[in-house]
Amino acid sequence: MMNNHDPERQEIVSRRSFLFGGGVCVGVFAIAGRLYQLQIADHEKYRTLAQENQFKRRVLTPLRGDIVDRFGNVLASNRKNFRILLLPEQSQNVNATLDHVSAIVPVPEERRNRIFREIRRRGAFTPIEIDDNLDWEAFSRINYELPHLAGVLPDVGDTRDYPLGSATSFVIGYVGAVTDADLAAQESDGDRNLLRQPGFKVGREGLERTYEKELRGKAGKMNVVINAHGRVIEEVKEGAVPSEQGKPLTLTIDAELQTHAMQVLATPAERQPDEPQSAAAVVMDVVTGDILVLASTPAFNPNDFNVGIDPDLWRELNNSPYKPLLNKALTGEYAPGSTLKIISAIAAQEAGVRPSHTTYCRQRMWYGNRNFHCWKPGGHGTRDMKGAIKDSCNVYFYEIAKTLDIDLLADTARKFGLGEMFELGITGQKPGVVPSREWKRQYYAGQPENQTWFQGETLSAIIGQGAWTATPLQLCVMAARVATGRAVRPRLVRAVGDLILPAPNAPAIDVNPAHLDVVREGMNAVTNEYGTAARSRLEDPDWQLAGKTGSSQVFRITAEERARGLTKQEDLPWARRDHALFVSYMPFENPRYACAVLVEHGIGGSRAAGPKARDIMRKVAERDPSSRQTVDPRELVRTAAANREA
Amino acid sequence: MASLILPGPHRGIRARLAKTHWPLLILLTLIALAGVITLYSVAEGHWRPWALKHAIRYGFAACLLLGMGLIAIRYWMALAYPIYFAALAALLAVPFIGEVNMGARRWIELGGLQFQPSEAMKIGLVMGLARYYHGLRAEQVSHLLYLIPPALMIGAPVALVFIQPDLGTALLLGATGVIIVFVAGLSWRIGFLGVLGAVGAGYAAYRFDILKEYQIRRITTFLNPDLDPSGQGYHLLQSKIALGSGGLDGKGFMQGTQSQLQFLPEMHTDFIFTIFGEEFGFVGSVGLLMLYLAVILTGLSIATRAKSHFARLTVVGVVATFALYVLINTGMVMGLAPVVGVPLPLVSYGGTVMMTIMAGFGLVMSAYVYRDQDVLKRGDFL
Repeated sequence: MMNNHDPERQEIVSRRSFLFGGGVCVGVFAIAGRLYQLQIADHEKYRTLAQENQFKRRVLTPLRGDIVDRFGNVLASNRKNFRILLLPEQSQNVNATLDHVSAIVPVPEERRNRIFREIRRRGAFTPIEIDDNLDWEAFSRINYELPHLAGVLPDVGDTRDYPLGSATSFVIGYVGAVTDADLAAQESDGDRNLLRQPGFKVGREGLERTYEKELRGKAGKMNVVINAHGRVIEEVKEGAVPSEQGKPLTLTIDAELQTHAMQVLATPAERQPDEPQSAAAVVMDVVTGDILVLASTPAFNPNDFNVGIDPDLWRELNNSPYKPLLNKALTGEYAPGSTLKIISAIAAQEAGVRPSHTTYCRQRMWYGNRNFHCWKPGGHGTRDMKGAIKDSCNVYFYEIAKTLDIDLLADTARKFGLGEMFELGITGQKPGVVPSREWKRQYYAGQPENQTWFQGETLSAIIGQGAWTATPLQLCVMAARVATGRAVRPRLVRAVGDLILPAPNAPAIDVNPAHLDVVREGMNAVTNEYGTAARSRLEDPDWQLAGKTGSSQVFRITAEERARGLTKQEDLPWARRDHALFVSYMPFENPRYACAVLVEHGIGGSRAAGPKARDIMRKVAERDPSSRQTVDPRELVRTAAANREA
Repeated sequence: MASLILPGPHRGIRARLAKTHWPLLILLTLIALAGVITLYSVAEGHWRPWALKHAIRYGFAACLLLGMGLIAIRYWMALAYPIYFAALAALLAVPFIGEVNMGARRWIELGGLQFQPSEAMKIGLVMGLARYYHGLRAEQVSHLLYLIPPALMIGAPVALVFIQPDLGTALLLGATGVIIVFVAGLSWRIGFLGVLGAVGAGYAAYRFDILKEYQIRRITTFLNPDLDPSGQGYHLLQSKIALGSGGLDGKGFMQGTQSQLQFLPEMHTDFIFTIFGEEFGFVGSVGLLMLYLAVILTGLSIATRAKSHFARLTVVGVVATFALYVLINTGMVMGLAPVVGVPLPLVSYGGTVMMTIMAGFGLVMSAYVYRDQDVLKRGDFL
């Protein structure tokens, strides 16, 4: 039985409660001690970590510099790009998120694979582009669905825009996605970091590639306050460094002429309306070397490239026989054919042949063990040097070639730009071939029995056939140098940023000016005195066009074919016909512009290339771009500075 | 009515209110106020959805506490076993009629109200054990035979809660029960053997897959947070960053970047102490801890002053539950205890826990108001 007063149990409870209370105190002081450790002792460490949580440094991608023509017309610029990014770390299940996105914007299997590849490569903490160039409607729907799209970030970026499209693709090139090789090539971590920004593009081809450093601009940086879900809560203006747009590039090109030339080149010849025009044209200012037109058809549209090219389109471009990915003006090598006769005539005079020297052309000439042919049925009859140029008489030049030193011809050709590469900032330029004794030795290195030069080869060489090749650019330079007697060098870039590049020096060429006059007279006769390109004559007396036709042999018509009566080029399939060439300059007195036109498999310069050159040069004469006020690059730089992103 | 009223100075409600331990209620109110402030901050400066409801609930709960304090302790003693067995019956019913919520079956519906039997058991177990030891002489406490009923009384609800599954509450119930048995006077020798047995059982549970995978993960994450940087360990790290970056005097009311930027999970419930610590710093969080300690020590002093053994052990049990809540919750948010989902009493948002705690303190208040009442003169009936 227990009594009322319960001292024994009260005693136990008191003692044990005291112990329990003591235990609680120990616990509370342990907690307080831990708080001391976290909040006082390690405060600095955790404060830093909290700041790292709170602030994320965001790279401000710079706008790419504009590329403009000589008058400031935009050839490459930037436009707004609505796109959706994915931050993998915030998506519970990337596949499910992409499925959800697919309901609004299709994400094909190929792209899905690319996204997973990029996640593996860049890690889960870098945003990766799901899709770009969305229309406004799709972009708003994504924004609307955003609460259900974990890890998806809508973003308004910038993408490259080429307003003239295919008209300037070979000059400007295009930009493309960053590759591992691009990353490896960067010098600083800052550059690498910039290149890792989602959707960042670097120059892949053309000037975009060559002037990548100048065009890219400088990255800015800014701290942003983000929440645990990666959403930007606040942009911290303090301490932010704005990005700087890349330097503008001012070209020598005249956009209007360029567009016109592209149209002229693409227009089919009257006689063969069904034939595609695979052609190239170069127009330059013979005084400054400014390239006004650098055209090649057919051409691709660079706007298809900077958004990630469609594989079908890519296959089509690659497989086309008209080679739309090839810049024929710089990378196409063609036998200069009869256009070389203007060089041959100079070389002949340098070798002592007088312009009054005549030869009688009977259409063919026996030399060595074979017949060398002239193009005109029945022959030309008696021709002096000017007449031989005017009518493009082969026999006249064969006769000279019998005694002409091939090395003299080669040296003369080199003085006029053949075999030379010009630094334009466009990759893929080809040097062509200038045949000479030395060339043959090198070409047949290891085969001493084949290294000897035969005079018979000089007969082919003097009319621009045989081993000769040249690019349309070189032919244009050749015409410009013949027109001026100066070693004009072509250029494509007038100014980088506000730095105006000086026109390259054009020293006088070491030939007798009187020799050049003979050739110029001959070229004038070609167009204006009923020569081979009479129909390419310009009527305007202030803009008399002097030119020279040529055709570049692709296949020799075989004896067997000749026996079958197959003598006409028109009867051959397109790919076996000769290329058509035309070189020209104007005005005949006091030359200012030179032009070279190539029409692949166009058969004859007179019929296919000359008229195109005439149409282009007529427009050049009309515009006379060199007499116009050019854009002030400093103005462009000021505009770019206003584009700084804060 | 007469039976509710004590003779002499206890007569009349006013007289009994005068005997109420007001400092204890003030301490509890201060703690609840800290909760209101923090919930207001968590909602980015809004009374909704938490702060206002918390304040109103506390108002009701405080009235409940005062009301319970007016009822004589011997009536509570009379209700001890009924309450315990009612709670046990409800726990038994959970597997059959319980609602599944987040993979666990913990709730049952009673007259349209959702009700968590495990919460009721927190009170029921305390009262049941206190009632049991009330009838035992001091020397009987450590007698093995007399240890069997409390072992069953503790073991049954712990097992039922464990299979719900709710490891946190099961451990809390078990620990509370053990503390009552200890304070009731269990010999050290048996206590030591008991602890040894518990450790063995825990190891066996771990070893033989009795614990759910997420429960094991919580423990392993606690033991080595770096194993799981984006899961449990991530939350713990973010919690430590929040506390640590609070520094001596905190970032200021509503200025906690970790909380405002949503780096913390369960900010209005389990991790609320972190928010408080981030915004009010070492001074604030230790101050809050001291309030809790004051409540606990006040409670224990009330326990030692009560005349009846039932009252003493009930008070100890309530205080033990309260203390365990505080220590486990605060320990959990700073990496001293596994993240088991235990709320911080009166600060965390949640009606059920608040009612349980305040009802418990209602019993404490009754024990204080009627501290001089010796229920034993009615005869020992066990």
